[in-house]
Amino acid sequence: MTESSANKPGNGQVCHRVKNGVKPGRNGFIKNHHHYHHQQPMYCYPEDKVQHTACNGSSGLGLYSRPFIESFEETPMLVAVLTYMGYGILTIFGYLRDFLRDWKIERCHIAREREEQRDFVPLYQDFENFYTRNLYMRIRDSWNRPICSVPGAKVDLVERVSPDYNWTFDYTGKVVEGVINMGSYNYLGFAENTGYCADASAEVTMKYGVGVASTRQEMGNLDRHEEMEELVAKFLGVESAMAFGMGFATNSMNIPALAGKGCLILSDELNHASLVLGARLSGSTIRVFKHNNMQSLEKMLRDAIVHGQPRTHRPWKKILILVEGIYSMEGSIVRLPEVIALKKRYRAYLYLDEAHSIGALGPGGRGVVDYFGLDPRDVDVMMGTFTKSFGAAGGYIGGRKELMEYLRSHSHSAVYAASMSPPVVEQIIASMKCIMGEDGTTLGRDRVQQLAENTLYFRRRLTEMGFIIYGNNDSPVVPMMLYMPAKIGAFGREMLKRNIGVVVVGFPATPIIESRARFCISAAHTKDMLDTALSVISEVGDLLQVKYSRHKRLPSLD
Amino acid sequence: MAFEDVWKKISWLYYQYILVTALYMLEPWERAIFNSILISVAGMAVYTGYVFMPQHIMAILQYFEMVQ
Repeated sequence: MTESSANKPGNGQVCHRVKNGVKPGRNGFIKNHHHYHHQQPMYCYPEDKVQHTACNGSSGLGLYSRPFIESFEETPMLVAVLTYMGYGILTIFGYLRDFLRDWKIERCHIAREREEQRDFVPLYQDFENFYTRNLYMRIRDSWNRPICSVPGAKVDLVERVSPDYNWTFDYTGKVVEGVINMGSYNYLGFAENTGYCADASAEVTMKYGVGVASTRQEMGNLDRHEEMEELVAKFLGVESAMAFGMGFATNSMNIPALAGKGCLILSDELNHASLVLGARLSGSTIRVFKHNNMQSLEKMLRDAIVHGQPRTHRPWKKILILVEGIYSMEGSIVRLPEVIALKKRYRAYLYLDEAHSIGALGPGGRGVVDYFGLDPRDVDVMMGTFTKSFGAAGGYIGGRKELMEYLRSHSHSAVYAASMSPPVVEQIIASMKCIMGEDGTTLGRDRVQQLAENTLYFRRRLTEMGFIIYGNNDSPVVPMMLYMPAKIGAFGREMLKRNIGVVVVGFPATPIIESRARFCISAAHTKDMLDTALSVISEVGDLLQVKYSRHKRLPSLD
Repeated sequence: MAFEDVWKKISWLYYQYILVTALYMLEPWERAIFNSILISVAGMAVYTGYVFMPQHIMAILQYFEMVQ
C-alpha cells in the first residue's frame, strides 16, 4: 500500500518473521532471534516492517554495537480507502466553491488581478493554489499560532478567533497560559530565559551590542566567533569548524562551494529542502536513493563508478553522499556505520546534516556519530544547526582544516551574509560548555540522560496505547499517524482545548495520505508533564479513533 | 437517563461520521448539502427496495420452483 522504502531490509538485518528459534540468515550466517523476542512480545504481521539488527557477534558484520530498531507500520487498507474518500469529498466541494467564486456568487478572499490587468498574461495561476485555497485554509488555525513567551516546556499562546472560517483572524486580547509544548525543537531544554546561558548572553549584549553590521570577511569577525568555532570543533571532534547565521543558508550556500559541474550528488529521498536546494544550485548531477536503503545506495555507487558521467563516460570528479542524522518527518536515524563502510569502499565523500541529532543523540550528546560510536574523522563534512538543541540560531560546518580554510574564502554565506549576533554566539558557547561539562556542573550530562529517558518512556507508552508511531526507538522526534484530513485539524484543536500544543503536518511536507502529528520530546519535560500529555493524547485518540495499530503490546509495569 | 446516554452515543457516532467523510472541515451549509444528497439517495434506495421487494422475492421463489 504505502510502502516506505526503508522497509526493505538492509545489510545485516533480517525481517522479523519467526516467533523463536534460529533461522538461517541472509549471508548464510545463523542469526539468533531469541534475544529480541523477550524484549518485544508482539504479533508480527508479514506485511509490517520492523527492522532489527543482529547484535555484535553472530552475524559477522558487527557494524552495529546496539540494536537498531525502526518501525514503519503499514497503513491499514480501510483507513487508506477512507482517507482517499475524504480527500475526494473535499475536492468536489473545492470545485463547487471555486465555481461560486468564479461566478461572483461568493466573495473571493484570495489574491486576484485587478480589472485593468485583464488582458495581460495572468499573474496568478488559480488551479495551482487549489489545495491551499480549499483544504489548507479550512484548518489553518492549527498553524502559525503566535506565542508570547519563551518556548520552553510550557508556552503561552495568544488566543485568536476567526469569524470567517480562517480567512482572517481576530485577537481576543487574552493569552492561553501554560500550554505544554510538544512542538518546539527544544531537545535539551536550552530555550529558557533564566539560568547561566541567558545571563552570559545578556552580559555580552551589554558589551558588544546586538548587531554586527558587517560580513565575516570584512569587519564582522569578533573574538567571540573565533572562540565559538574552536569550541564547536572540540565538541565535534574535528580539526576545524565554521559557523553561519542561518541553518538553511548553511546547507544551501555551502553545497555549491563543495560540488559543481561534473560531480555526482547522491541524496536521500527524504532530505530537507535546504539540502535539495543546495544540491540544485551547485549544478551537479543529482541521483536520489531510497530512504535509508543501503542496497539502493550501493547500487547507485557501483553504477556511477562503472559508467561514469552520462555521455562521455569519464569518471566523476567527486561523488558526494548527502544524508541527515535524524529525519524529522519520519523520526528515523541514518544507518551511519553502513554509509561509512560504503563510502570508504567506493571512495566517495560524505556530508552529514545533523540538524536534529546534534545534542539529542549519543551518550555525550555529540550527535549520531557518538550514538554509533564511530570516528568523527570518517565523516568528511559534518554540518549541523544551533537552533534545535542549543537554543540559539545558526548553523555550522566542521571538517578538516584545509576544507574549512577553503570554505572560509569560497562560501557565499561567509562572503556575503552578515555575521551572527553576539548574544546568540554567547548562548551557543554557554550551552556547548554546559553539555560538555566544562562549566563545572553535571547539568549537561543530566539533560542528555533525561532526554534519552523521556524519549524511551514516551515512545513506549504511545506504542502501548495503540497508536502507529514511525521511526527509531531512540529518536526524540515522534511522528504519530493520523491519515485522514479532518483528523489533522480536529487533533490540533482538541489538543489545544486541553492545553497541549502539538504540531500537525499534512500534504506538501508528507505524502498525501500519510498526515501525522509530530511530537518533539525535550529534556525540560518532567515525567509529570509527559504523563499529563500522554493521558490527554490517549483521551483525544479515543475521541478521534486514531489508535490504528494492529500490534498488541503488553503494557509493562512502569 | 437512558436518553442522555443514547443521545451521547448518537452524537459521538455523528462526530465519527463527520471526521471520516471530512465534513468536519466544511462549513454548515456545505454539510447540509452533502447530508441532504446522501439522505435522499439512501431514502430512494430504501423506498425502491420496499416497493419492489415482494415482486423480487416471488420471482426468486418461482425460479427455484418452491411456489407456483
